[in-house]
Amino acid sequence: MTVTSATGTNRIVRPRRVVRSGEGKWAWLLVGVVAAVLLVWEAAVSWLQLVPAAFLPPPTEIIAAFVRLLGEPEFWQAFVYSMQNLLIGLALAIVVGVVVGLAVGWSPVLRFTVAPFLWLLYSTPKVALAPLFILILGLGNESKIALVFLLAVFPIILNTMEGAVTVSPSLVSAGRVFGVNGVYLGWKVIFPATLPYSLSGIQRGAALGFTGEVLGEFLGGTGGLGHLLEFAAYQFMMAEAIALVIVMVIIANLTLWLISTLRRRLAPWYDDRKIVGAS
Amino acid sequence: MTTTIEPAEDEASVSSLISVRGLGVSYDVARTGKKLVAIEGVDLDVREGEFVTVLGPSGCGKTTFMNVIAGLVKPSAGQVLVAGEPVTGPGPDRAVVFQDYALLPWRTVFDNVKFGLEMQKGLKGDGWRDRVQEAIELVGLSGFEHSYPRELSGGMQQRVGLARAIVAEPRILLMDEPLGAVDALTREVMRAEIEKLIAATGKTVLFITHSIEEAILLGDRIVVFKSHPGAIKEVIETGLARPRSERSIQSDPRFLELRDHLWDALQGEATAAAVSK
Repeated sequence: MTVTSATGTNRIVRPRRVVRSGEGKWAWLLVGVVAAVLLVWEAAVSWLQLVPAAFLPPPTEIIAAFVRLLGEPEFWQAFVYSMQNLLIGLALAIVVGVVVGLAVGWSPVLRFTVAPFLWLLYSTPKVALAPLFILILGLGNESKIALVFLLAVFPIILNTMEGAVTVSPSLVSAGRVFGVNGVYLGWKVIFPATLPYSLSGIQRGAALGFTGEVLGEFLGGTGGLGHLLEFAAYQFMMAEAIALVIVMVIIANLTLWLISTLRRRLAPWYDDRKIVGAS
Repeated sequence: MTTTIEPAEDEASVSSLISVRGLGVSYDVARTGKKLVAIEGVDLDVREGEFVTVLGPSGCGKTTFMNVIAGLVKPSAGQVLVAGEPVTGPGPDRAVVFQDYALLPWRTVFDNVKFGLEMQKGLKGDGWRDRVQEAIELVGLSGFEHSYPRELSGGMQQRVGLARAIVAEPRILLMDEPLGAVDALTREVMRAEIEKLIAATGKTVLFITHSIEEAILLGDRIVVFKSHPGAIKEVIETGLARPRSERSIQSDPRFLELRDHLWDALQGEATAAAVSK
C-alpha cells in the first residue's frame, strides 16, 4: 500500500493489523464488566448495606470525592510536588542508566566485572533503604528524588545493557567498514539500535520510580500525593483516600502510555523487527 | 570430452590490486582450549577490475577470508596487500555488501546510503547529496529515498546495501553472499543488474557465494574453497563472454562443463563437511 505523506513523498505503508476490529469487541466487554462491578458495588453498599460505607464508600461517593479533589488547590500543590520529584529523579535515572547500560553492555571487561553487582543490586529490595534515605537526606525533596532514582535506574541500566549486547554484529561490522569508530560507533550505531530496549527499561523504571516517590512521601514527608493519601487514610476519609489512589493509577498509566507512544515514534522498527533483516 | 579446465595461472603480484600471501586465521576456543583454524595458507592475487567469485560450502571460511580483506578480522598468519599496502583495518578503498543487508533500521533509504559517505571528507558542501542520489538511482531505487528498510522487500533492501557500498566509490567491492537471503526470482534479476553495474563502474569485486551457477555467471575467475581447514582448493578461469544472460548461458557448453566440474569439486567438500559435523 502506498500513501502520500505530509511531506509529499510516497511511502509504502503496511496495512494495520487486522485484529483491530476484534479488539474493539473486547474493549466493549471490558467496559461492560467494569460497569457491572461498579453497579454491584453501589448496590451492596448504598442499597443493601452489606458493608458499612465508612469502610468501603460506594462509587458515587468516590466520584464525588474525586471531583472535589480536583477543585482543591492543596491537591494541585501535592500533584506538582510529586510530579516534580518524579521527573527530576527519572531524568537523572535515564541519563545515568543509559550511559552506564551502554558502557557495561558494550565493554566485555565491564560486563564481567560490573554486571554481576548490578544484578545483585537490582534484586535487592531497595524499598528497604527508604528509611535510610529519609534519615540521611531529610524529609524534603532530596530523599524522594533519591528514592525515585534508585528504583528507576536499575531497570534502565539492565535493559540498555541487554540491548547493547544484542546489537546485530553485522550492524557493527557495517559501521566499521564505513569508517565509524569508537565514540561515533556508540553514537551512530549502538545507541540508536539500543534505544527501544532503553525505552522499555525507562517504562519499567518510571513505574517503579513512582512507587518510590509515593513510598518516600508515606515514610516521612511534607507534601505530595502520598502525603495527602496518608493524611486522608488517618482521618478515616475513605472516599478521598480511594480517589487519591485512582489519581495515582491514572498518573502511572498515563506515564506508561506516554513512554510506549514515544517508543513507537522513536523506534518504529522495533515492533516489526522480525521483518527487518534476513534472519 | 577432453577437459579444458586448467588451474588459472598465477598473476605477478606487482600488477595485482589485492594480493593475499600465506593467509591464516585461527581462533582460540575458550571452552575446549583448542585452536580452531578457520583458514590456512591462502594465496590469491586479484587484478584491478576483475570479478572474482569465491565458491565453497558453508563453514569453509570464505566469509572469514573476506572479512580479513575488509579489515574486520586480523589474520593470525600471512598478510593481505591492497594496492601494495598491508591491510590493517577497514578503509575507504574497500566496501562491503552484507548477506543480511546490515541496514540501519532507524534511517531512511537516503540516510542509509549517506552512511557510506558520512565518515569521509565528502560530507562538507552540497556535492554529497548528488552522490547519494546518484547511487540510489544507479541501483534503481529512485522514489524510495524516504522509505525505511522495513518497508522494503529483501531485494530492495539489498539494493540499498549496494548503493551504500558504491556511494563512496571504493576500488574494491566485497560482497558476502549478497543474494543469499533474496528470493529466487529477485536473485536472477539482481545478478544481471550487479553484472551490469560492475561492468559500468569497473570495480574490482570479490563475490562470495555458495551457488555454483552464480559463481559461473558472475565471475571472471572462480576461487573454490575447501573446508577443515578453510583453504583454496582450486582457481578456475571462466572464460565466458560478457554480458552473460542467464538464459543463453544455460546452454553454453562451457557453462555446462564448468558446472559439472564444480559440482564434482563441491560434492566431495559438502560430504566431508556434513560428515565432520
